[in-house]
Amino acid sequence: MKSMITIIKEQISSFYLILRLSAFEMKSANSNNYLGRLWEVLNPITQLLIYWFIFGIGVRKGQNVTMENGAEVPFFLWMVTGMIVWFFIYPSMLNSSKSIYSRLNLIAKMNFPMSTIPSYVIMANFYTHLILIAVVTIVLQFTEFKLSLYFLQLPYFLLAELLLLLSFALIMSTLSTIIRDVQQFLQSYLRMMLYLTPLLWHTDKFIINGQNWAFLLKLNPLYYIVEGFRASLLGTSWYATENPLYTLYFWVLTFIMFLIGSVLHVKFRHQFVDYL
Amino acid sequence: MSETVILENVYKKYKMHTSPKEKLLNLIMPGGYGEDFYALQNISLTAKPGDVIGFVGVNGSGKSTLSNIIAGVIPATSGTVKTIGQTSIIAIQSGLNHQLTGRENIELKCLMLGFKKKEIQAMEPEIIEFADIGKFIDQPVKKYSSGMKSRLGFAISVTVNPDILIVDEALSVGDKVFAEKSKERMFEFKDQGKTIFFVSHNMRDIKSFCNKAVWLEYGEIKDFGPVKEVVPEYEKFLKKYKAMTKEEQKKFREEVIRKQSGLATI
Repeated sequence: MKSMITIIKEQISSFYLILRLSAFEMKSANSNNYLGRLWEVLNPITQLLIYWFIFGIGVRKGQNVTMENGAEVPFFLWMVTGMIVWFFIYPSMLNSSKSIYSRLNLIAKMNFPMSTIPSYVIMANFYTHLILIAVVTIVLQFTEFKLSLYFLQLPYFLLAELLLLLSFALIMSTLSTIIRDVQQFLQSYLRMMLYLTPLLWHTDKFIINGQNWAFLLKLNPLYYIVEGFRASLLGTSWYATENPLYTLYFWVLTFIMFLIGSVLHVKFRHQFVDYL
Repeated sequence: MSETVILENVYKKYKMHTSPKEKLLNLIMPGGYGEDFYALQNISLTAKPGDVIGFVGVNGSGKSTLSNIIAGVIPATSGTVKTIGQTSIIAIQSGLNHQLTGRENIELKCLMLGFKKKEIQAMEPEIIEFADIGKFIDQPVKKYSSGMKSRLGFAISVTVNPDILIVDEALSVGDKVFAEKSKERMFEFKDQGKTIFFVSHNMRDIKSFCNKAVWLEYGEIKDFGPVKEVVPEYEKFLKKYKAMTKEEQKKFREEVIRKQSGLATI
């Protein structure tokens, strides 16, 4: 508990630091390309096109996706509204978990608030995320899924997403500093998650022997975020309040992860240098 | 006057591992696993404002480890380290981000040292002037020459106005003009009553600049006192060491390793 409070205090008091450092982070990542930050939009577009080709045209043969409320959504829009979450989560998880050991040599002081390192790395990806959301929202205005009141849920899901990421990053950045293999494990784990989260494959009914096993996939907290984003952008439901138990599960899980993350981080932060 | 740096019974222990298996065992076993290596043993020293303390000793005697511990870059394994005021370390490895420009690095570095937005804005022109690298300040650091890098690093470290300054062999880079300028700045610091630690293999620099010296040998303090007493002793030792035959030198080094692998107990 005490370490949790330490971390929360650090995050709040270093907010300006996080903003500035994330700006530098973004800049140094793109400084070698002529198109600079444009690549952060161009890369997702090429990926989306290939996934749409394989899963939309190939596997689904152009079939629409039926949402919980019965709305028919073209596969491409269904995929895009979920994939924008992935385009943020995937690089953030990978980069933030190696954030501490790869940046430790830049930090000149032990009393530097080290828990801000994963946060600013996440933050650097967050700007692109916002831009992608804006682009998708604009594109949606040319379809039948126009901006609706449901859009108001989006800030809530953004917050949920950030907190989940931060909790995850606290655990992973500490572990991967001590044991580098964690990074390799994470890579294969994430590759798996791309298919186990409803991003490319619509899994609200996952029936084996007459029983719906979809709840197993819902144990993955990313499921909650992705479906929440869809509900907000496509305007299909008030996802958080219509699934109160799932909301509760998500927050309990995030809280536990944050707790474990902060205990681990505070316990090892002073020895990070020795693990370099 | 009161002390600005107080070190009491400071130890720094590393574990030596030869295989990943041993590393893993070290994580799992409660007492750790692996051969001990004491980079520092039982270091106790105090420094007052206005003290300029030189660290001398052969390679691997723990000079850099000790400077890093005083600067707060690495933690001590046991013992207490107390420093009063802002510390700043100048090392050859200045830890600049090579993708960013010099100007951005200044802000980055100052942020890392815990300065506020306004303070950084006030310091920036001063740092740029001191580094004196002209138009290159808006170029990415990867295009800098090694001299420029160290000048920028030095400029940042001295302009943040530390109370305790640690200079780790950083004066040997850069040309004569800049070295003079840096020395001048350090003499200013000395007059202002700041505490300075100075690591160098150049005995002339040590003698001209420091008033006290610490002679480190295999991680222990062999001698600590006024420069006039310690440095001649150390030079005598160096001469003796150089005159030793290969066998004797080898013997000496073996002795060092034996001592550092944990005769002392914590």
